[in-house]
Amino acid sequence: MTALDDTRESLMQLLLASGVPVSRVEVMGSATLGAQRSSLFINVYAGPNITEAVAQILAPGARVVMAPEDDAALLRLARAAGAPVAQVLAAGNTAPITGAAAIIVSKISGESIPRKILRDVNESGTGDDLAADLGMALAKIHSVPVDELPSNLARVDNAHVHEAYCDSLAASIDDVGVPHPIARMGVHWLRQHLPSRPNATTLVHGDLRNGNILVDRGRLSAVIDWELGHVGDPMEDLAWLCLRTWRFGNQDLEVGGFGSIDSLRSAYESAGGTWRDDAFRWWTIARTVWWASGLTRQATTFLDGNSDSIVLAASGRRVVEQEYDLLRLIAP
Amino acid sequence: MIDRPDAAQLLEAMAETLTDKVMPSLDGGAKHSARVVANLCMILAREWDEREGMAVDELRALLDSPDAEHVDLIADLDRRFANDDVSSELAAALYPIMMADAERRLAIAKPEYLEP
Repeated sequence: MTALDDTRESLMQLLLASGVPVSRVEVMGSATLGAQRSSLFINVYAGPNITEAVAQILAPGARVVMAPEDDAALLRLARAAGAPVAQVLAAGNTAPITGAAAIIVSKISGESIPRKILRDVNESGTGDDLAADLGMALAKIHSVPVDELPSNLARVDNAHVHEAYCDSLAASIDDVGVPHPIARMGVHWLRQHLPSRPNATTLVHGDLRNGNILVDRGRLSAVIDWELGHVGDPMEDLAWLCLRTWRFGNQDLEVGGFGSIDSLRSAYESAGGTWRDDAFRWWTIARTVWWASGLTRQATTFLDGNSDSIVLAASGRRVVEQEYDLLRLIAP
Repeated sequence: MIDRPDAAQLLEAMAETLTDKVMPSLDGGAKHSARVVANLCMILAREWDEREGMAVDELRALLDSPDAEHVDLIADLDRRFANDDVSSELAAALYPIMMADAERRLAIAKPEYLEP
């Protein structure tokens, strides 16, 4: 058997174990996401039905940010709450035969590459509709019952949600191990300007932005990439979505470079979300610090010899974009 | 601040990428051109060490460290912020230096990102 045969058999057994009456799995295409992650586009044959699906596979031993079974639980709960999310067909932290971690979801049509999304939205004139779609999707995501979430999901006590984030930022900067006074200055500012607390902590997607959404004919078809999901302040998601770095040059359109904050906010509130201006600003600054440190970490991976990726090396020269945004945001 | 990878490290990485990953799939004139670009990158990498960026003298005065090197000043600042040992007066005096430095570096890395 070839490695591909093993993978196909593994996915089939994973589907059968999840109750999908599959008779055959056919691999239609693949996309490699680094050495340890890959996506396979598959057709699942069950009786007369053919389901187009996507299998995301992590090689055994790969660094797992979120285990597929937890990922699946989040997707199912978000979908049940009414958010546009792929249907989970199967998930296993250790799939049969290969031992890989895998999740299989129904395929949803849509574009994920930010510049193509901006071009399509520009042509269809649906930028504010897309921003509203995202506001509604986030309100649904934030309505997921927290007590039904996987128990090992990162959680923080509502009484200390912002202080805890400052602590985690400081620890992360320490961990990167590169002197980063501008990021430290950001944390200093954050500690001195703690915002209002949410009524309750909620499920937070953690990485919802132009780049982690699928857009079909100018409208939101799915929210993807849930590996940073956690329980926290819902305003974190709204702020991260609007960071300047995700506008791809369209600075005046705060939501992903295609829509206005007003459209996002009114849809979010209409769907039951509570918007807090002070927390929006605070999280904009907090996640800018986080991304400045994250890009520094990527460059360090290259500098330490743990990767020869020129892309990770180039990340080091994107840090200043975040530092510049940060300094403008905290200007006295 | 000191961006890492610094210019010399980036140029060396570019030269290695060209030599190890791009040139094997080229031949003839294109291969030669790639080799020349790799060599130019290495020349620029060696040339880089002559340069200095940030307003180091201002930082030395603010941090009362007249003889400190650039890299030590940055480490000192990092430590002070991490230990919450920065007065609001010092933070206010640092801000324009930090911003001027960020603008200078951004003008090199991505000038179109600067706000008009």
